[in-house]
Amino acid sequence: MNRIASVVVWPLIAIVGAISFATLALGRGETVNAVWLVTAALSVYFIAYRFYSKFIAEKVLQLDDKRVTPAYRHNDGMDYVPTNKWVLYGHHFAAIAGAGPLVGPVLAAQMGYLPGTLWILAGVVVAGAVQDFIVLFASMRRDGRSLGEMIKMELGPVPGSLALVGVLAIMIIILAVLSLIVVKALAGSPWGLFTIAATIPIALFMGVYMRYIRPGKVGETSLIGVVLLMTALLLGRTVAASPTWGPVFTLTGTQLAWCLILYGGVAASLPVWLMLAPRDYLSTFLKIGTVAALALGIYFVAPELRMPQISRFIDGTGPVFAGTLFPFLFITIACGAVSGFHALISSGTTPKMVEKESHARFIGFGGMLAESFVAIMALTAACVLDPGVYFAMNAPAAVIGTTVENASKVISSWGFVITPDVLQQTAVDIGETTILSRAGGAPTLAVGMAQILGQAVGGKAMEAFWYHFAILFEALFILTAVDAGTRVGRFMIQDMLGHLYKPLGNTEYLPANLGATVVCVGLWGYFLYQGVVDPLGGINTLWQLFGVGNQMLAGIALLLCSTVLVKMKRERYVWVTLVPTAWLLVTTLTAGWQKIFSADPKVGFLALAERFSSAAAKGTVLAPAKSIGEMQRVAFNNYLDAAVCGVFVVLVIAMCIYAVKICLTALKQAQPTAVETPYLAEPGAAE
Amino acid sequence: MKPDIDPAAARQARRARLLERARALRKAYLQVFGIPDYEGYVAHMAANHPEQQVMSQKEFFARAIDRKYSKKGPRCC
Repeated sequence: MNRIASVVVWPLIAIVGAISFATLALGRGETVNAVWLVTAALSVYFIAYRFYSKFIAEKVLQLDDKRVTPAYRHNDGMDYVPTNKWVLYGHHFAAIAGAGPLVGPVLAAQMGYLPGTLWILAGVVVAGAVQDFIVLFASMRRDGRSLGEMIKMELGPVPGSLALVGVLAIMIIILAVLSLIVVKALAGSPWGLFTIAATIPIALFMGVYMRYIRPGKVGETSLIGVVLLMTALLLGRTVAASPTWGPVFTLTGTQLAWCLILYGGVAASLPVWLMLAPRDYLSTFLKIGTVAALALGIYFVAPELRMPQISRFIDGTGPVFAGTLFPFLFITIACGAVSGFHALISSGTTPKMVEKESHARFIGFGGMLAESFVAIMALTAACVLDPGVYFAMNAPAAVIGTTVENASKVISSWGFVITPDVLQQTAVDIGETTILSRAGGAPTLAVGMAQILGQAVGGKAMEAFWYHFAILFEALFILTAVDAGTRVGRFMIQDMLGHLYKPLGNTEYLPANLGATVVCVGLWGYFLYQGVVDPLGGINTLWQLFGVGNQMLAGIALLLCSTVLVKMKRERYVWVTLVPTAWLLVTTLTAGWQKIFSADPKVGFLALAERFSSAAAKGTVLAPAKSIGEMQRVAFNNYLDAAVCGVFVVLVIAMCIYAVKICLTALKQAQPTAVETPYLAEPGAAE
Repeated sequence: MKPDIDPAAARQARRARLLERARALRKAYLQVFGIPDYEGYVAHMAANHPEQQVMSQKEFFARAIDRKYSKKGPRCC
């Protein structure tokens, strides 16, 4: 059977993959079916998993099933629990999949479908899956320790602290950008806002029900929750149409930003069982269900990719985000190809639950492949849209104006012909008043999903329902992330403040808790507000800042992996982690440098800041700002963004120097110097 | 082949197997969604620490949820 598999099946997968790629890359002048794209991706995943991950597991890491894993060593029936391989795969996937892989590819679609696809596939195989797998392995060999602790153990205390500062900074930026996505999706959308607002009382009810009425009945509670949620979704249409309630739920971006800031502060101060836990269950159910539905939908509907293969915007003049293909494509698509955040998950709960070392291959490497597949589907959903609609949704108002007539004129002049009627009709189909300048990925993906799922179930009549369902699904897990992320940020801030003044670090001390929560919410709230009032849209600045930070965290995690390999005396295989590390450092340092110092004010923070501050000094008001005060604020914010970007660059360079120093020392040693938990053989292994 | 097997006993064995499978499925579903598994915890305590006091379901659930979210375990973007 195995022989047949290797002689027949693998060459077959390779051939199918090659045909799919040829169709994608060589088709000229005619549209290509999305099924080819998805099939090409799947064949890459299968081949990479079968051959490359096997090589890493057997040769590079030399996984040893006789070695007892932390799940058995510390089995407590709660945190450390030996868990079935498939189950843990599902759990790990649910933990790593978030809004990231959905947003990045949608933004990157402005360059056409091919650049994004190639980077997602190459990136996941060479960098992303390797990082997740090796971090999981390293943590598993160290009692499930976190990334920060492992950096401290293997690279020293100073790099350990630096990494923590970096993680906190990235947390703040990601919370801001996720909230901004919600604001962009819900501003002026009463149907959407009503549905999302309804999730708060629903979650509170579920929390009380699960704790006091039927303790521990999570399945039953979640079922009730889902039913209530769908009721709210259907009711949303009526509420939006109502002359009294419609206006109540029609908020501007600024109002929504304040609501989210308030929500973040209050939600993170409530006990976890009341809102966070029930909402987390709801969003996990929806997440897995929706991802599966979208995959089936794409194969069932088989839509055509209407976005060109490669668009003219690879030259850096695109309206969605500024900057050329290199390095900005590799910053914009973060999570679907490689994400530093995963290093935190792979060194969190998962390593405490792995049954056998060899399972890490399937869970770490395989889990990331599934995440990458989500990114491919998001890219597909964006590329099956009419490109005119795509650009109308993602270009800022400063570029395309605020009317469908103006937008269609501007977008048609780029070569993507679109009539005002089509733009208006698309808005009507999805039950909204406008689709213009809804940047941030979520609404675009929702329209794409609505068109795909609408063709599968319900037709045009159901599109509005599917659109709001997709918005609900994304907003739900973003709000969960905002809540949980604010808590994590609070712990980290308290941890740091505790070094300055002991009582501030006490997580049981209420004033210290509240103080740290306010600081955390204040930090991300500031960036959120700045993004909302930014006349250029905000997403194009914040998302790139996040991309730089996230990819740099991946670079740091891969530096740790390289150091671990060298210290284990496996230096002959260190290219496995060194190649992606080098690529990440090159792209992020170039991008970081350009974001700070580029002379083009569309790209460089300093250039834009100087342009606005010097004009303000002369007393002239530059569009799209409306007053001297606004001009000064734009200038200040851009200086701030440059500083944050600078912090990331300095951090990663420092980490690189430390890693090189440690590796050079380790190379001179004859014996392995990696700090692993001592070997303990499985009791039955000797027999 | 044992011709003298009792059909009632066979049925019972089949039912037990089915129940076992349903339990395994339930456990898998709980673990995928990260829902605390009380039965698993009770089984663990009975097998490894029979001398210790076992928490009530309510207590276990409250504790597990608090622990899950009060750690520094961040989640993804």
